[in-house]
Amino acid sequence: MTAATSAPARVETLPTIPGLGGLFARGVAGSARMAAAARLPGGGPRDLTLPEVTYRVAGVPTGNGAEPGGPGSEEHLARYADVVGEVPGGTLPAGYLHVLGFPLATAVMVRGDFPLPLVGMVHLANSASLVRPVRLGDALEVRAWAQDLRPHRRGVQVDLVVEVSVERTDDERAAGSGLPATTLAYRGVSTYLAKGVRLPDGSAPDGPGANGSANGSTNGTDAFVPPLPTARWTLGAGTGRTYAAVSGDRNPIHTSALGAKAFGFPRAIAHGMYTAARALAEAGPARGETYDWTVTFAKPVLLPSTVDVAIRPEGAVAAEVRDVVGQVPAAVADGAGDPATGLAYQGWDRTGRLHLSGRVTPRR
Amino acid sequence: MAMRKTPANGSASTTSTDRRTSAGSTGPVEQRPGVRDAWVIGGNRIPFARAGGKYSRSSNQEMFTAALEGLVARFGLQGERLGEVVGGAVLKHSRDFNLVRESVLGSSLSPQTPAYDLQQACATGLEATITVANKIRLGQVESGVAGGTDTVSDAPIAVSEGLRRALLEASHAKTIGARVKAFAKVRPADLAPLTPATDEPRTGLSMGEHQAITTARWGISREAQDEVALASHQHLAAAWESGFFDDLVTPHRGLVRDQNLRTDSSMEKLAALKPVYGKRLAGSGSEDSPAAPTMTAGNSTPLTDGASTVLLGSREWAEQRDLPLLARVVDAETAAVDFVHGHEGLLMAPVHAVPRLLARNGLKLGDFDLYEIHEAFASTVLTTLTAWEDDEYCRTELGLDGPLGSIDRSRLNVNGSSLAAGHPFAATGGRIVATAAKLLAGRTAETGQPARALISVCAAGGLGVAAILESVPAADLPA
Repeated sequence: MTAATSAPARVETLPTIPGLGGLFARGVAGSARMAAAARLPGGGPRDLTLPEVTYRVAGVPTGNGAEPGGPGSEEHLARYADVVGEVPGGTLPAGYLHVLGFPLATAVMVRGDFPLPLVGMVHLANSASLVRPVRLGDALEVRAWAQDLRPHRRGVQVDLVVEVSVERTDDERAAGSGLPATTLAYRGVSTYLAKGVRLPDGSAPDGPGANGSANGSTNGTDAFVPPLPTARWTLGAGTGRTYAAVSGDRNPIHTSALGAKAFGFPRAIAHGMYTAARALAEAGPARGETYDWTVTFAKPVLLPSTVDVAIRPEGAVAAEVRDVVGQVPAAVADGAGDPATGLAYQGWDRTGRLHLSGRVTPRR
Repeated sequence: MAMRKTPANGSASTTSTDRRTSAGSTGPVEQRPGVRDAWVIGGNRIPFARAGGKYSRSSNQEMFTAALEGLVARFGLQGERLGEVVGGAVLKHSRDFNLVRESVLGSSLSPQTPAYDLQQACATGLEATITVANKIRLGQVESGVAGGTDTVSDAPIAVSEGLRRALLEASHAKTIGARVKAFAKVRPADLAPLTPATDEPRTGLSMGEHQAITTARWGISREAQDEVALASHQHLAAAWESGFFDDLVTPHRGLVRDQNLRTDSSMEKLAALKPVYGKRLAGSGSEDSPAAPTMTAGNSTPLTDGASTVLLGSREWAEQRDLPLLARVVDAETAAVDFVHGHEGLLMAPVHAVPRLLARNGLKLGDFDLYEIHEAFASTVLTTLTAWEDDEYCRTELGLDGPLGSIDRSRLNVNGSSLAAGHPFAATGGRIVATAAKLLAGRTAETGQPARALISVCAAGGLGVAAILESVPAADLPA
C-alpha cells in the first residue's frame, strides 16, 4: 500500500451509488468466468492490468436528503453507531464513510476488465484518513478506483481507493465564499489479496513490498506475544449478520456457516472492518475530529468468538509488539499525525494468535 | 426568605458592620461559623450471606430496612427525626428509585426523616458516609445515617434490547395493527432474559479479569494472595469469637454470622483451588515473565448479599442523647483513574486518592494505627501496597518525590475484611467504617491516646475513595 494516490484521469460518473446486491451477483459471475478461463489451456499468467477509470458519484446526500433509513440517513448512521459502538451524533466516523464508499469500490472490482476475481479476495489491510469532519447534511462526492497491482507471497494484491469530498453548498456558492467546489474529507485505501494469481512478468513475489505492510500472511505474526489486554470483545454468532445489515456487505462468509464452509472456513467469520471499526470507536474522544485509522488483518475471527484486545497510547506499547505488528502508512500523508500521539491496538484469540492490529492517530 | 443582593462594590470590601446593617431585606445572609466535627457514633449491619444463601428471597429494601431498624433499636432512635439517611445499592431494580426513603418509611424512625439514594459502585457506603459527615460538618444537619445494601440473589433481570424496543414501540402504538407489527419484530433469541453483569461497560472485561491484569503487571504471587485471604478469615473469625460484632450486627433470617467466613481455612486448602481469573493472560505480557493465573475463588471476594448502616452526628447531638463518640471523620478524597486504555489498573484509584489525602492533612502513610483496605481481591490489597513502595511509579504516576512508603502489616484489616466477610457491593463501606470506628475507640480507651485509621475502597469504573477516621480521648475534647 502506498500513500501516494494516482486516480486514473478518465472519470466515469454514475448517477447514484450502486446497490451492492446486484454488484455481488456480477462479481460472482465474473469470478466464475475467470476461474473457467484459468483452467483452459494457456490459461496461466495473463496480462494483468487495472481498469484505467475513476468512478464518481456527485451529490450523494446525507441527513435529511438521504433516503429515509438508507445509507447516509440519520437513522442508518445511528444503527451503524449502535453496531460498532460509536457515539451516535451528527458527524460521520471514518468507518461509516468506508461503508458509504464500499459499493462504488466494489463496482470497480466487478467491471469486466478488472483482472482479479471478486469472490475469494482477502482483505489484508486498510488505511483511512479523515482530514476534515463530515457532518450529516453535507452533500458528498465519492470517487473510487483501483491502483498499485503488485505481487504478494501468496498471489497478487491491489489497492481500492475511495475518496469522499464535501461539496460546497448552494448558499456558500451564492455567498461567493471562495471555497472550491469540493473539499477532500476522507480517503480510504483497502488492500486486497487475490490468492494464487501470478503477475505475468514473474516479479519476485518476495521482493520489496511483496508483503507490504500488510502482513496478513503468517509472516511476522507468529512472533506476536500478546500484551496485557485492555478490553475483551464477546462476539456472538450473529455478529456478521448484524454488521452486514448496516454495511450492506452480505458476503456469505460473514453471514452463514454454510457460506463460510464453501470458502474453507469452519464457521462464519467477522467482517474485518467491523473489528477495525470497533477499535476506532473504542479509541474514544482521544482520536480527535480528524484522524488516521489503519488496520492490518491477520487470522480471521471465527464466530462466535471472544477476542482479547489491547488499545493503548502508542508510547505504552511494548517494543516487541510494535515490531511485530508493523505500520501501515496514512492514506493521506499531508498532515498525518505524529504516531506517538495516537493509540495502537491489537486483537488476538484465546491461543494468542493475532487477529488484527492497527492505529488511530489524531491528525495535525 | 431574605433577598440576596451582591453589594455593588464587591463582597471583598464588605465589612461585618455592613453585613449587620444590611442584614434584613437587602444584604447577603451572614455565613455561619466554619466546619465542626462529624462523629461516627455506631453502626449496624446484618450478617452477610453468600449469593443464593440465606437471603435468596430478601430484597434490597428488606435488608436495608433490617439493618436500619437494628441501628434504631441499638441507639434508641424510635420516632426520631434524623437529618437524613443516605445510601444505595449497586444492583438495583428500577422500581427501587427511592430505595432508602422507602426503607426509612418502613422503619421506626420518624417518617419526617428525609433520605436519598446515592450510588458509586463498591464505594457507595463510604461515599455516603462522607456525604452525611460533610453535611454535619457544615451544620446543615445534626445527625444522619449512611449505608448501603446489595443483593446478587435478588438482582434485577432485564429483557433483551430487542424485546424492550418492541414493548416500548407497542406501548407507543396507536392502533392494534401497529402494536402487532411491533411485536412481530421480536425474535426467539430476544426472549432470553439479560442478567446483570459486573463487566466494565467500556472494556467488556469483568472486574476479576481487570484485576488479573493489574496483578500480572505488578507480579503479585499466588502465595502472597492466599496469605492475605487466610489472614482475613482468621482475623474475622477471631473478631466474631471475641464478641467484637455483638453490637455491630443484627441477625437476619436465621443468619447470625457472616456466611462466607471459613474458620477452617488454611494455606493448603487455598493452594488447592484452581485459578478463575486471568486464565487467558497465560503467556501474555512478555516472553520473559509470562502472566500465570493466580486469582482463585479463595483469594477473590464471593458474590454476597447484605446491608449495613452507620450512625453519624455532631458532638452536641450525641452528647444530648448520651451516645458515644467513636471517631471523627477527619477528611476524605475520591479519585478516578484512566483504565480504559490500560494506563492504570481498574481498581487502583485509591492508590491515587491516599497520597492526595495525606498531603492535605500533613500526614505520612506510616501515621496510622489501623489500615482498612477493602479486599475486593487479595491482590487489590497487594497491588495497592506494592505500588506505594515503588519509587518509579510513585514519581511518575503519583507525582511524589519518592515512594509513598510501607505500612506495618500487623495494622492492616485487623478484624478481617471482604475476603472473609463477603462483599455486598454498597454495604461494604458501612461495614468498614463501623468496624474501624469501634476499633479506634477501643484503642483510645485502652491507651488514652488518639488513634487514627486510613480507609480505602476501590470501585468499578476506575473509582476509589479514601478516608481518615480518628478517635480522641474525652479529656482532649474542647470543653
